[in-house]
Amino acid sequence: MDEPVRDVFPGIFEDSKNPRLIGGHCPGCKRKFFPKPIVCPYCLGPVGATPLSREGVIYSFSIVRIKPPFGLPQPYPVGLVDLVEDGLRIITLLDPLKTEGLAIGKNVHLMVEPLGVDAGGQTCLRYYFTPV
Amino acid sequence: MRKVDIVGVGMTSFGKHQDKSFIELAVPPIVDALKEANMKPSQVEAGFCSYALAGRLFGAVTAGQTILWHAGINKVPVVNVENACTSGSTAFHLAWMGIALGQFDTAIVVGVEKMVVPNLGLISSGDTEIDTLEGLVTPASFAMRALCHMAEYGTTAEQLALVAVKNRRHASLNQLSQFRDPITVEDVLRSPMICDPLTRLSCCPNADGAAVVVLSAAGRSRRFTAKPVRVAASVLVTGSYENPIDLVPWETDYRACKKAYEIAGLGPNDLDVVECHDAFTISEILHYEAMLLCPTGEGGRLVETGATSLGGTIPVNPSGGLLSKGHPVGATGVAQLVEGVRQLRGEAGARQTEGARVFMAQCMGGDKDGDARSCTANILMNN
Repeated sequence: MDEPVRDVFPGIFEDSKNPRLIGGHCPGCKRKFFPKPIVCPYCLGPVGATPLSREGVIYSFSIVRIKPPFGLPQPYPVGLVDLVEDGLRIITLLDPLKTEGLAIGKNVHLMVEPLGVDAGGQTCLRYYFTPV
Repeated sequence: MRKVDIVGVGMTSFGKHQDKSFIELAVPPIVDALKEANMKPSQVEAGFCSYALAGRLFGAVTAGQTILWHAGINKVPVVNVENACTSGSTAFHLAWMGIALGQFDTAIVVGVEKMVVPNLGLISSGDTEIDTLEGLVTPASFAMRALCHMAEYGTTAEQLALVAVKNRRHASLNQLSQFRDPITVEDVLRSPMICDPLTRLSCCPNADGAAVVVLSAAGRSRRFTAKPVRVAASVLVTGSYENPIDLVPWETDYRACKKAYEIAGLGPNDLDVVECHDAFTISEILHYEAMLLCPTGEGGRLVETGATSLGGTIPVNPSGGLLSKGHPVGATGVAQLVEGVRQLRGEAGARQTEGARVFMAQCMGGDKDGDARSCTANILMNN
């Protein structure tokens, strides 16, 4: 039997069918982080894991047209997406099949699919945001 | 803190040096800089050697000791420095600090990189970072800044392109620059798209190169040279990594420049000539604003006025900048200071800014969470 496809980064998301990114939450500082830090950089206390919002808004983006890294499609879009509910702005891949019509302020939501390879060159599940 | 002067400089041309190894590239400019400073290798009391990629590309480890030994410098403390694109200016900062604090009276800074090699690929913030795995390459992070600047302040693609056109015009006057042929706004806009809206001619090319600066405690500098150049401020800062963080204006960049002005007791109106980290056209526009050469958002319009061209009120990147010279990462921050010293001594030939007295070098490196990993601002001035 084939080994299950790995996640692009261990523990970075849960439930690939109905995915949520996993961030960190400091109960003391009431701050959220993505990705989850080792300890809270503000109080050095422990940080719990917390699922983040699936919905985001594009803050900025670009379309990378040169030879892509990690077996990503050419071209592919990458962006900074605001997770409004969480108060976080995260760097993320955007949907490689939807490079047209991207704009600042566009609503996007989280997807997880087999896409490209991980740092070790193995096929992997990767998260991206796609226009709603 | 003691005052510190630069007493000698040297650099190779930037471009392809296929006949020379990484080590061989670094040695001749050390010899030139020591000669210029009338300093014997045995008079150098500390060495700081910067390179960012040689470990990955050639397996170089603590190469500074080997490089300096070839130039007759041994026994003294030698530190190898990596700080992304500010590796060279960070090495300079450490050398300055050591002399200013009285740990030694002289020091040499050697920045070197050899990166014109097959399949170098794109620079990123490290292969194990989640941002890199999600497709963030360095030109994309600057392309996102460009898009924000355009949306927020109405900066145009033509204004961005003018940075590359201006710097290439400057480079035509610099024999050490890799690219010296003039280009037009159309050339820039029509070159292949790398990361929208940045085209190939909007991004600095790779290069091999080395640059060297020799420093002395100010009280002793006239033993070495008749034309010492004073270090009026040397600042190194790190990003805040607050989340969310805005891409424009760039707080870290402003913070570094402000601190340098405060330490030097100077302001933007005192500057006569500037080198800044124009890794991409948008970078130079952002750095104008951080250096307070114009209000936030006005960088695109500033380049359009010609103020930052040679002959303008505040020439920026008279050397041709990274966009023309190329960007040998470990050497870049040192090469900026070499240009500054030559401008302040009146030795910059056809690209001389007449009567230049005060110079600033701004450099920025690395990417983390939408911010820089490091930013340096160094102000040099004639005594």
